[in-house]
Amino acid sequence: MRIIVHNAKCQGHARCWAQAPDIFKLDDDGYILPGDIQVAEGEQLLASQGARSCPERALEVDRTSAARFEPAAMQPRTGEA
Amino acid sequence: MAINPVPDHVPPEMVRDFSLFTSPGMPPTPNGDPHAAVACAHDGPPIFYSPYNTQDGRGTWVITRAADQRKVLQDTETFSSHRSIFSSILGETWPTIPLELDPPAHGAFRSLLSPLLSPKRVTALEPAVRERAIALIDRITASATSCDVMKDFAFPFTVSIFLRFLGLPDQGLDTFVGWAKDLLHGDDVERPVAARKIVAFIDELATNRRKDPVDDLMTFIVQAQIEGRRLTDGEIRGIGVLVFVAGLDTVAAAIGFDLAYLARNLKDQELLRSEPARILLATEELLRAYPPIQLIRVATKDIDFEGAPIRKGDYVSCATMIANRDPEEFESPNTVDLAREHNRHAAFGYGPHRCLGSHLARREIVIGLEEWLARIPTFRIKEGTAPITCGGHVFGIENLILDWS
Ligand code: HEM
Ligand code: SF4
Repeated sequence: MRIIVHNAKCQGHARCWAQAPDIFKLDDDGYILPGDIQVAEGEQLLASQGARSCPERALEVDRTSAARFEPAAMQPRTGEA
Repeated sequence: MAINPVPDHVPPEMVRDFSLFTSPGMPPTPNGDPHAAVACAHDGPPIFYSPYNTQDGRGTWVITRAADQRKVLQDTETFSSHRSIFSSILGETWPTIPLELDPPAHGAFRSLLSPLLSPKRVTALEPAVRERAIALIDRITASATSCDVMKDFAFPFTVSIFLRFLGLPDQGLDTFVGWAKDLLHGDDVERPVAARKIVAFIDELATNRRKDPVDDLMTFIVQAQIEGRRLTDGEIRGIGVLVFVAGLDTVAAAIGFDLAYLARNLKDQELLRSEPARILLATEELLRAYPPIQLIRVATKDIDFEGAPIRKGDYVSCATMIANRDPEEFESPNTVDLAREHNRHAAFGYGPHRCLGSHLARREIVIGLEEWLARIPTFRIKEGTAPITCGGHVFGIENLILDWS
């Protein structure tokens, strides 16, 4: 699982951090650091709770954890390409 | 007070007899519940027009759904914050900062202030906050088994923390609380008088700190630079006034409404007293159920917003107390459930103006409730008394006499 971080939407409520400070790291002003977050096995519940606590909807849960093991290049191509 | 006529572009069927200032439960009411009273906004269309919905009697669109408020507050290009709420009391038009600036100008000032109120900074303030709460409560319990919570606890607690943050002495406390009260809940004569006093006070403080810098917020502001320059006198005044007003009344009101709720709901009171670990989550629910503020925006262009023909210059109201009772956002919104999870309430607003003081405010409320419940046995509203609540731009409660004899 990973958390997609939409930084432009973050307004520094710090609710994610309040749920899980080790998963959601904030900068000195209290806004979330850029970059998507890979969630370790065992922290998934906490991470999704943190993401669901964001009032601005800046955190998106991506459960298709397999996605990163299937880069586009490895997928069978069909169609006109 | 003049009531503006309903503008021609507002379809008559979208006008509702609803006002945060004049509807039932909004004027000072003994044993009132103004937050529950405004929940009736959800009985009608999601957006409507209220002909009288600001302190100075202007009409506003009323956005009732949390999702729509989020859209409005995140879209600063269409919905501007520049509405001179404070300076218009004086017949002037300068903005309080950062509240009434729009991006991009807003960003520079906000970045200047955010480190001062960041979650980390607030964590460092915590011991002082707790010490202050304990001292006040111990003083109350030493000599009495009842008290006026607002006067004896909520105001002295929140305002003294705030004064320390601003770098002001505690002696000024009663004077400042009086100004804030006149400003927020006073009549047409009291409000400009209070506003003028606050401005004069901030201007003088800025002058003093420029001459004799100390380690406080005002010194920081007069010495600060944005975009390679010092701040202008007007900007310094705009920041000083905002910070002064933003922190004076809000946290105290929140604590007052919270304690009033607990005084009337003894099961919840006992639950939090016996399991103080629940207070953190409960505070979020109490912020949802009893938030104090209405937000106003001004349309910068014509827009048809979710079926409402909003025109340039129209006022748009996002009342946090209405969003927080939105049945589409919250299950059983009129039930206070202290264990409610995923509580993305609107108490601190949404978008770039999200309350900069939210981390401090939360800590103050949590600590205030923790220490109060740890030190005061089962308390109720004192028999024969009635707290007086009011609506308006900032909701308030007074004459809250609690008894634990
Ligand atoms: C429970 C207490 C409080 C509540 C419910 C509250 C609520 C709010 C809300 C809803 C806004 C957004 C206004 C808008 O978008 O138009 C706001 C802005 C602000 N608040 Fe608070 N507030 C509280 C306490 C405080 C405290 C204690 C401070 C200062 C230490 C503070 C400082 C500010 C500032 C500086 C802004 C302007 C932020 C900006 O425009 O970027 N607030 N507050
Ligand atoms: S809860 Fe949302 S808005 Fe707040 S810091 Fe986390 S990501 Fe940002």
